[in-house]
Amino acid sequence: MTRRFSQWLLFVSWLCVPLAAVTLTGAPTDWAGDLSPISPADWTYERAAHLIERAGFGATPEEIERLARLTPQQAVDQLVDYAAIDNSASKPFQESGVWDRGMDPFPPSRADAVRQARERGEALGVRALPDGSPRRLQPVVDKFFYGLRANSIETQRLAVWWANRMLTTNRPLEEKLTLFWHGHFATGDAKVRDYRMMLRQNEMLRANASGGLRDLLVGILKDPAMLVYLDNGENVKSHPNENFGRELLELFTMGVGNYTERDVREAARSFTGWTNDVLAFKFDRDQHDFGDKVFLGKTAPLNGEDVIDIILAQPVTAEYVSAKIYRNFVRDEAPAAIRTDLGRSFRASGYQIKPLLKRIFLSRDFYSPAAVATQIKSPVVLVVSTYRKMGLRELPTIPDFGRLTSGLGQTLFDPPNVAGWAGGRTWITPATLLQRGNLFRDVLFADARTFRAPDRLMPATYARVGENLAKGMNVTEATKEGTGDAESNAQLERDEDYNTRYASYRGYVAAFERTKPIPRHVAELNLSAMLTAAHATTAEAIVDHLTRRFLSVPPTQKDRGVFIDFLRDRSTTSESDLRELLYLVLSAPAYQVN
Amino acid sequence: MDCCTRRGFLTRGLYGIGLGAGLPLFLSRTSAALTAQALQGTSIEKYPERILVVLELSGGNDGLNTVVPHSDAAYYRARPRIGIPAGDVLKVSDQFGFHPSMVGFERLYKDGRMAVVHGCGYDHPSLSHFSSMSYWHTGVPNAGEPLGWLGRLADDHLSPATRNLIVNIGTSQSLAVRSGKHSPLVFDDPARFRRDGTDEEKRAIGELAGSTAASNATLDFLAATARNAADSSDFVRQASAGYRTPVDYGIGNAFGGGLQRVAALINAGMKTRLYYVAYQGNSFDTHVQQGDVHSRLLMYTADAVRAFMDDIARIGRADDVAVLMFTEFGRRVEENGSLGTDHGTATPMFLFGKHDKIKGGFYGQPPSLTDLDDGNLKMTTDFRRVYATAIKEWLGYDDPDVVLKGRFDPLQTFA
Repeated sequence: MTRRFSQWLLFVSWLCVPLAAVTLTGAPTDWAGDLSPISPADWTYERAAHLIERAGFGATPEEIERLARLTPQQAVDQLVDYAAIDNSASKPFQESGVWDRGMDPFPPSRADAVRQARERGEALGVRALPDGSPRRLQPVVDKFFYGLRANSIETQRLAVWWANRMLTTNRPLEEKLTLFWHGHFATGDAKVRDYRMMLRQNEMLRANASGGLRDLLVGILKDPAMLVYLDNGENVKSHPNENFGRELLELFTMGVGNYTERDVREAARSFTGWTNDVLAFKFDRDQHDFGDKVFLGKTAPLNGEDVIDIILAQPVTAEYVSAKIYRNFVRDEAPAAIRTDLGRSFRASGYQIKPLLKRIFLSRDFYSPAAVATQIKSPVVLVVSTYRKMGLRELPTIPDFGRLTSGLGQTLFDPPNVAGWAGGRTWITPATLLQRGNLFRDVLFADARTFRAPDRLMPATYARVGENLAKGMNVTEATKEGTGDAESNAQLERDEDYNTRYASYRGYVAAFERTKPIPRHVAELNLSAMLTAAHATTAEAIVDHLTRRFLSVPPTQKDRGVFIDFLRDRSTTSESDLRELLYLVLSAPAYQVN
Repeated sequence: MDCCTRRGFLTRGLYGIGLGAGLPLFLSRTSAALTAQALQGTSIEKYPERILVVLELSGGNDGLNTVVPHSDAAYYRARPRIGIPAGDVLKVSDQFGFHPSMVGFERLYKDGRMAVVHGCGYDHPSLSHFSSMSYWHTGVPNAGEPLGWLGRLADDHLSPATRNLIVNIGTSQSLAVRSGKHSPLVFDDPARFRRDGTDEEKRAIGELAGSTAASNATLDFLAATARNAADSSDFVRQASAGYRTPVDYGIGNAFGGGLQRVAALINAGMKTRLYYVAYQGNSFDTHVQQGDVHSRLLMYTADAVRAFMDDIARIGRADDVAVLMFTEFGRRVEENGSLGTDHGTATPMFLFGKHDKIKGGFYGQPPSLTDLDDGNLKMTTDFRRVYATAIKEWLGYDDPDVVLKGRFDPLQTFA
């Protein structure tokens, strides 16, 4: 079969889909709920495209054709057994080196840094000024805000690094799984305030993403970022802190309703003394409660790993976790029969994730109308997959990736709470739906001239401090802002041992100086060349190529007509006209699903 | 500033806003429809002008350090290190006072614009954030009710023919406003609530927003949301644009910013009756070293609510706006080993209104700090009595029992 001919065939099959009486996906509706594998005869371009949408971040038509030429078993094996694929081109994160001696452990609040400085004459590795000096604690508070801002910028850099890895990796499922586990074991830098811990957690999740659940659980429960996020450093023999035990049971393993409040407390006791020495796990024997615990019916002097094993012995754990994986990769609701079935095989395999994924990705259910084109893309998936389908080889940084996704409700390394992102329809509001289209206009018509880099942006109220100082004002005058009644504004300007607003300003300045800037560039996109290579020269052929390339749902004849009419008034060879057309395609409500 | 006053907005609405200004047609249709509904409107309602603003403090606010029982020795016994010293409490009665950072609440209370309801909760309380919050959202604890209490309220009493009766400020929709008949308008930043592009691009995209023949439930949902966005975004953006207020909402933008957006929409004459604003991100979950962070959160909250009430009075709508504030649970009576508090049960709720509309003061029985249920307060007022108060006494709907699926007596709080 010639290449041209195979394309023609694909094109025809694509056009036929909406006409077929069966369904949107061309699959029989009774495939829903059927976990038996699809046969090689059922393997098509559309199904390969669906597989890479879910098991990765979508792909170009060329990459999909490559998958479509394999058998389904080969395609799934290749994606899931990704460890065999060379990925040395994905480089590790390059740190700026912002963490100075004395900054560990970082104080939980500005007030805490001040208290330390009052008691010891220094904090954060910085000495207070001699008694009697004006604003004698200013250097410490400056350093505290420097630490906050520098860390926040490093976290933004880290997110850009990860997003770029999602885009360029040869192992898309590895990153998709890492993203899934990041949401499942939600940990946020807004609380952790240490990008180094977030980076290590990210590496740990990636390393264990498709292995055994037990390793992943032990890894996350000994992970410094998680220990800090769930306050387990404070979980001590004399005063067990329940946060860690509760979220372990409720969110990570069993789900609410399958244990008692007593189990929560006993689990918390078992994890007493599990803490961190900055970036390393530490077991603090003196704080561990070695006494008997009664947990899920077992009585013994349990420790944390014992608790994990008892949890893994519960059938409900296998069902809960496999159902969550299923909901993430297949569809928003996991039918009871599938839950039971997947749970049983997951537990029987010793909680091995790879066989579970293979079973899911090969199942007829995965390719059924209940699954195909029914999931709403998360903001990160929406943006990364668009770039992948554009064939980009590097993440555009104008517009800023973090801004794009956080405006839609998802910030990497900062899930909204311990439950992670709720996902599904909760991504969509009238406002975010518009934004989901708009952001691609910012990508397609990126304006490097007016772009303002968020990693170098100082809020106006602090920038004014700098301007006022340059005009010759003293610190007290320069930081005066509010005239109203709000207590919070009044406190910021209070000018005794230090001035908070001044410290914020100085913290930003120092952080900008010490962090590597995110290199800024627009998308290297050449639609004209892409369409020429695809032999799409007429308005119809261009519209068909772009809709097939980007949409998981074929457009209706009416919508196809809207696109064609739009291009008819324009040039089929003008890059900017073609980009306008692509903007329309990416703004279609149907673009939100995969 | 005629563009942004309520009168100016309504007037232009009456005559078809923006028809002369080259604005898209659907905008003029929207505002005409809204105006028509405003005119024919809600005449059968007792208080058609009244608005309820619901504020959520997510994460489980520590009620005992918010409304401090400063004369109760048991409080200081349970909280030797994080208890608020009696000398620092902003006292409003012999027994109770506010956390020292809540200067705004002290003002509201002393002005008679605030009611505090002690010990709110429900039977068989859940200590899970997500379960408990969903119970407060639905108003049906320990059940799988799919719709929110505000959503059901709208379903029962407000015509779905009128758009945007429910507004939820935020990046995602709260379960509290999930409705069977209404499509709540959810947005965060009104300035960004628009479709970008040239007129031709926008026109073409507008033509795409229909559902397809070969569709599925997700695609239908997206198509409906797209229609809602197209119909409402220009209205909201214009209503919000240019709203300037001299009132200082403080620096806690998470809450203050949302409340200021509500004030802007009310000022512009938006027909919304139910507003929902959440202090998101589980912020109030203060397990550790809670002193400074809790103080800051309470300060932002008190600043924002005080500012909102002042702002609403400034724009002449104080008669029409009441606020209800809640959290999913309070915290354990005894402090934990980390200078923080763990998940608990009963907690105060708050109602705010104009001094001659609300009867300010304390309501309900303060829970005992010694007669506890496994270390937790025993609730004294079912939280749905406060919902019933808002439904019946404030909004004027006589059958709160239907919405709340049970009998809950209002508290006689609104005049």
